[in-house]
Amino acid sequence: MSTISNVEVVNTDQGVTPRRLPGVDGVWVAIGADSVIFAILFGSFMQARLHNPAVFEASRHTLNMNLGGVDTLILLTSSWSVALAIQALKRGLVDRVPRYLLGGVLTGLMFMMSKSVEYFEKFAQGIRPATNDFYMWYFTLTGIHLLHVVFGTSLLTYLWVRARRRAYSCSRRVVPECVASYWHLVDLLWIVIFPLLYLQRAV
Amino acid sequence: MAIHAESATSAASDLSPYRTDYTSWKILAWTGPVFLFAVFVLWGFVAHNMPPFPPSATPEQVKAHFHDFRLPLLIALSICVTMTAFYMSFSVAVARVMERVEGPGGLLSKLEMMGGTITCAPVMVTLAIWLTAAHEVDNLAPGVVHMLYWMGWLLFDLAYFVTSLQIAAISIVFMRDKREKKLVGQFVIWWGWVTFASFFAVSAIPFVTTGPLCFNGVISFWIAFFTWFIWIPSLSYYIIKAVDRIKAEDEAAGLVNN
Repeated sequence: MSTISNVEVVNTDQGVTPRRLPGVDGVWVAIGADSVIFAILFGSFMQARLHNPAVFEASRHTLNMNLGGVDTLILLTSSWSVALAIQALKRGLVDRVPRYLLGGVLTGLMFMMSKSVEYFEKFAQGIRPATNDFYMWYFTLTGIHLLHVVFGTSLLTYLWVRARRRAYSCSRRVVPECVASYWHLVDLLWIVIFPLLYLQRAV
Repeated sequence: MAIHAESATSAASDLSPYRTDYTSWKILAWTGPVFLFAVFVLWGFVAHNMPPFPPSATPEQVKAHFHDFRLPLLIALSICVTMTAFYMSFSVAVARVMERVEGPGGLLSKLEMMGGTITCAPVMVTLAIWLTAAHEVDNLAPGVVHMLYWMGWLLFDLAYFVTSLQIAAISIVFMRDKREKKLVGQFVIWWGWVTFASFFAVSAIPFVTTGPLCFNGVISFWIAFFTWFIWIPSLSYYIIKAVDRIKAEDEAAGLVNN
């Protein structure tokens, strides 16, 4: 799967060592495009907030910051667990890989549960996407991000099942690297969404 | 010598009794960018759909819009209805390139060609609906013009999955290309997946009239449409080049029937 174009040669003290981009080149195109799309969404959200700061500020205070903070910790832990899985693969510690991937899957599921609780809280309070512009953005941004989490958790589950059958090794790790790179993006997006929606004052 | 003789015999037996028309194939590949240019300029700018008139507009406002821009709408939409057929011819050229990866009559190549062809249907019907609204604007009640405007958008946007299947088929087949240098670059293959994913958001358009998910919103219009608008010329570039590469491959293999 790995193409010649993603192999880079660097000089080190020990001689010439091949260095490569994790996964395949194409997955970085998708990650880059997704990042640009989210950057457009963040910019549009900030523009909408400028037009109606009072509504955005009042609505922001109704969000559950504690749950938002817990979500951040969950995703950071998840990313760390997946990074450990890739490290273990690189070092040939194949036995440890399913354990770390399972950590990623479980934290992904925890995030989904946490988000469901948050959404049910909002619906119980009679808050809907159509309530005002802020909530439209809140449900849109967190909803699209949640779809990313669902997709990523499904991919991690697939990796976990395959890793238990020892399908991956130090030399066969392109697919896990692609999924891990995507999963780090999901984490990174939340790290921007959380302060933008929950913490930042609309001035 | 024996090997040479065997390969020559094999090439001769593979030789189609019909000539491959590389020139027509390339012309069909060029119709993709022509379609995009027509849609972008005529539907987008001349017909004032970039950005679209807001979904939250009242029936009176929609009627006034169609009345004010009647002539440009008539010109742009009537030409655009015709030019939409170019997306079909482009899809035929793409399917033929896909067959060189997947094998003749491949399932995904057929899905691509059907997807591209059927994509033309909702686009043409939508343009005809808006053309009717523009043509008959002085004879119609504001509520009817509003209905035609919304009907057009619902058809135009919600038929997206036909195009999604076309894009998915293309991305899957070219990902499977075993050539050292693939016929279609990785950028386009993965951009196809981004386009595929971005289309899902437009499912929300019946439920919202403001915000990022409405039909003139940042997600449902600017992102969903522009990922597709970038994908078409990017894919066309590789398809046009692929015809030349395939011709060279055929010539090298002695498979060109002059």
